[in-house]
Amino acid sequence: MEQTLTVSQQLIFAAIPLLPALVFLALALFGRLLGEAAQYIAILGVTVSLVFSVFALIQVVRGDGAPIDFAVDWINLGEGGSFPVGIYIDGLAAMMLVVVCLVSLMVQLYSGAFMEGDKRFSWYYAVLNLFTASMLGLVVAPNFIELYIFWELVGLCSYLLIGHWFEKPSATRAAQKAFIVTRVGDAALFAGIIIFWAYTGTTSYEGISAAVQAGFLGGSVLTAAIVLVFVGAIGKSAQFPLHVWLPDAMEGPTPVSALIHAATMVAAGVYLVARTYDIFVQSEQAMLTVAYIGGFTAIMAGTMALVKKDIKRVVAYSTVSQLGYMMLGLGVGSYTASMFHLYNHAFFKALLFLCAGSIIYAMNSYNMQDMGGLRRRMPITFWTMVIAGLSLSGIFPLAGFWSKDAIVASTYEEHYYVLFGMALLTVLLTAFYIFRAIFMAFMGEPRSEGAREAEDPPGIMTGPMLILAFLSIVSGWVGIPEGFAGLPVTDYFAELVFPSEFAAGALDLDEHSFSVALAVISVAVALLGIGLAYLLYVRQPERATSLADRFRPLHTFLDNGWYFDALYGATFVRFARFLGRLTRGFDQRALGGLVGGVGRGAMGTGGILQRLQSGSAQNYALFILISVLVIGVIVGAQYTFLVVALIALVTVAAFAVGAKL
Amino acid sequence: MIVAFGFLAGMVLVSAFGVVVSRNVVHSALFMSVSFLGVAGFFVMLNAPALAAFQVLIYVGAVTVVILFGIMFTQKPQVRRFATIINRQFWASLVVALGIGAFVAVIVSIEDWGDTKSGAGSTSVRDLGRNLLGVGQAPEIFSLLFEVASVLLLVAVVAAIVVSRRKAGAGEDSQVAERVES
Amino acid sequence: MPPQLQQGVDFLNAEIPLEFYLVVGAIMFAIGAWGALIRRNAVVVFMCVELMINAVNLSLVAFSDYLPQANGEGTSYAILVIAIAAAEIAVGLAIVLAVFRSRRTVNVDEINTMKG
Repeated sequence: MEQTLTVSQQLIFAAIPLLPALVFLALALFGRLLGEAAQYIAILGVTVSLVFSVFALIQVVRGDGAPIDFAVDWINLGEGGSFPVGIYIDGLAAMMLVVVCLVSLMVQLYSGAFMEGDKRFSWYYAVLNLFTASMLGLVVAPNFIELYIFWELVGLCSYLLIGHWFEKPSATRAAQKAFIVTRVGDAALFAGIIIFWAYTGTTSYEGISAAVQAGFLGGSVLTAAIVLVFVGAIGKSAQFPLHVWLPDAMEGPTPVSALIHAATMVAAGVYLVARTYDIFVQSEQAMLTVAYIGGFTAIMAGTMALVKKDIKRVVAYSTVSQLGYMMLGLGVGSYTASMFHLYNHAFFKALLFLCAGSIIYAMNSYNMQDMGGLRRRMPITFWTMVIAGLSLSGIFPLAGFWSKDAIVASTYEEHYYVLFGMALLTVLLTAFYIFRAIFMAFMGEPRSEGAREAEDPPGIMTGPMLILAFLSIVSGWVGIPEGFAGLPVTDYFAELVFPSEFAAGALDLDEHSFSVALAVISVAVALLGIGLAYLLYVRQPERATSLADRFRPLHTFLDNGWYFDALYGATFVRFARFLGRLTRGFDQRALGGLVGGVGRGAMGTGGILQRLQSGSAQNYALFILISVLVIGVIVGAQYTFLVVALIALVTVAAFAVGAKL
Repeated sequence: MIVAFGFLAGMVLVSAFGVVVSRNVVHSALFMSVSFLGVAGFFVMLNAPALAAFQVLIYVGAVTVVILFGIMFTQKPQVRRFATIINRQFWASLVVALGIGAFVAVIVSIEDWGDTKSGAGSTSVRDLGRNLLGVGQAPEIFSLLFEVASVLLLVAVVAAIVVSRRKAGAGEDSQVAERVES
Repeated sequence: MPPQLQQGVDFLNAEIPLEFYLVVGAIMFAIGAWGALIRRNAVVVFMCVELMINAVNLSLVAFSDYLPQANGEGTSYAILVIAIAAAEIAVGLAIVLAVFRSRRTVNVDEINTMKG
């Protein structure tokens, strides 16, 4: 089923993740020399990767969906099995490659102006490229081990980038929080990998899937293992209950948020679930877990976004919510719709972040209460953000509509009515909060000096924004269902990204054609949300504040993120700090004392022995004779007791003599 | 035989003890020479009269005199109490010396020397002479040792002269004067 | 002759075993060692060292006399030892003299610049 490849083709595909990695090395080593010129090298590298990714996509399409698959043996344990590393590019992976490269390119172009004058400009670009390389590597990994390597690298880059301005203590705390929370997920993921490996002897997705089908592991062990893998995905994709790091991650530069925390890294979790879908579908409980966690996260994050005043945090919670949607879609079995949403979401979410970034760049403030009336002063930002917001809300005929609506519809069609209700409610919330943000920022009168003087950012920043806006409109059009409204359209996306035959068979979904009724319902709900936002933030802004006052407890509850941070802080963080204090005390007292004790012991012994050096030759002669006696007795003696007693006596005598003198 | 042995042994050991404990240095020297005489007597009993002669000539004659000269040049006249002639190692040294003595004595007594009697080894002076020079059946190394001993004696004589001569132009009194001034 | 008298005469005429000489030598050595360690006067320490050397000489000659396998070499050794001891006395006393000249004392425990 795989395509046969020439060596040069293999090199090209291998270069996709390798090029940004090389750029990272170059910038890390020579960044200080290059200074601001680093961006050109980086952009060149990503552009080439993008071209190669498109080539890979074309290759896959031409091969009718047959994947590109080649590997080399990395660790060969002989009897213990081997761990190959390789490249596996099927439709899903090819799509992801293009998305990652494209968004990375947009972000790197944008960063040229946004990060201008930054102290660590080239290091920023270096890590950004390392991240791109790691994400690309993650996407093409054919087995769990390679995935895990890049998974960790991606987490590392996230840590480095969130903490880019590490002079700010809030940034370092946020970076630590992100790393530690995702670590919890990573540990679970590794446990899952180990279980799979122990039972099936392989770590490749295909191998495990085949082994599971053959019955090597099943029942509760299978569910446990795959749920552990899902916990890893939860950590990376900031789903409940490991969602607490993503809002704090906004401490990093905005382009970083656009790339990592909107389009790519957080998508890694969803991508993992999609990659291992063959294994997931074999466990009912796992699928339900995925679906419900996704749905719950979607609502929860949506409510939290309602009350935030920091524009980036609104968008961050929106990301969490949309990822919940994707998990929900995967959980109920609509693989293609979820991946379609992943693809669309990457573009409009990145755009939303870039718009927020351009506001921050213009106004030096991220507080929406300082904004207002930017519509006239920053038209490009305004219109692109509106486009992104409409796409996010799922308004026909923008991109978001086709994917989001598909997920909502499928929950209804697969008879998950609770989830359908949750999804629909989230549609309302989503539309409301994003347009709340847009209206607060762009409508009305400027509420601060910064708002009065804000201007659209330079072309190198608005250029990517415009490109992404264009994509936010049209990216969905490759996935319009067949024969929609009598138009001669093909669902290209579904032909490229589809679950395997096995998975499709296991899911046993009914064929559903496009349901106009459900589409109308979801668009109507979205428009309702937009209308509410308009009412509360344009027409009668006082109503908004009075509502906030009336429901003060609820408002505070939502504003504090449902008190999850407080909860985790009171339990895990305090416990971890306590452990830290224990180990530090042990290290200082026990180990430090031990080491210091050795030193002091040596000095003390030296001091004692020093007293033997009396300077008197007769003293030394005495010691010599004592030693002669001891040696003679040892050599010639018949009785051990005599020997031991003599030696003890003599040693004591020597010290006594020495001490007295 | 036993009587002679006992007498000589007593002479040797008591004088040795006297060397150690006597308060007057000259008395120690004289006790020492008595002890040497005792040992010479032992040599006679051991069928080595030539050696006994050497012992008397060299030890009792030369060594004792040299030591007496040394005493003469380095002593200040004063009465000493026992405590001032002994350093602080008295008891420790006693224990160690007793230990060594006992140890060697025990080892030697336990050992089975075969059924030997006096005179079993060669006793003639001719053999002594041959052995000393390493000729005949004696190990040849003795010839080297003999020569080395001669050289050593020469070196010792020269060294003693060099070490103990006064610095040119400086008398004993002027040295004292220098030290008092500095 | 009455038996007791005979016994007494036999006792008096008996052979002296080798161990007796060796033990006497050992004791003499021990006394010399003791004296070398406790006397403060350097010249007396010398005398005690001479005692030790004589004890060793005594043992050597005793072995030479009693053990045929020694081939009488013990006596030759003893002569060499005597020669070396004499040389040592000469040099040693010269040193004592020199020390006395510079420090006006021959008490060994007052010459302790090696302390520490």
